[in-house]
Amino acid sequence: MPAAPSPGDVAPSLELPDLNGVTIALGDLAGRPVLVSFLRHAG
Amino acid sequence: MKVRDRWDRWAAIDAAAVFVVFDDPDMIRRTMLEGIDLDGLPFPVLVDQERSSYERWGLQRARRRDIWLDPNVYKVHWRLLRAGEKLRPGGTDVLQLGGDFVIAPDGTIAYARPQERDNRPPVGELLKAAREAAAAG
Repeated sequence: MPAAPSPGDVAPSLELPDLNGVTIALGDLAGRPVLVSFLRHAG
Repeated sequence: MKVRDRWDRWAAIDAAAVFVVFDDPDMIRRTMLEGIDLDGLPFPVLVDQERSSYERWGLQRARRRDIWLDPNVYKVHWRLLRAGEKLRPGGTDVLQLGGDFVIAPDGTIAYARPQERDNRPPVGELLKAAREAAAAG
């Protein structure tokens, strides 16, 4: 597993479906600051 | 999701947000998104049941003792119970850790906080990083 990215690194890719099955890519949001939050379990 | 409660502050700097989950979408709707109008969410909730993105972003699984012997876990549960919320089953993997990142407009990481245990940064800290990234971009 790679190390988590650090400030200054190019953000790893991220392209996933949303809850409705629509695929969204981080690149679609380029040009804006973006918060990416990976959550823990659903409970 | 506290970010949602203060979304006007994120919108003021034209920031975007994505939240990534790994549990079954139906479980997500029944638990962490219970009672939330999904059509009204200002950001997408992305599903990665294989956790390939968690791995690509270097997000580890915790050791059991880092979760179950962490007093903060029990403080959070106690606060939820006192607030009248019900505790829910822990999803498919209570050891998978998450993390918070702010991406600058140029696509580089402006802020990184991968979890080492069950803790998250304050929303104000994330918003400050986003504001600084917006100003620099």
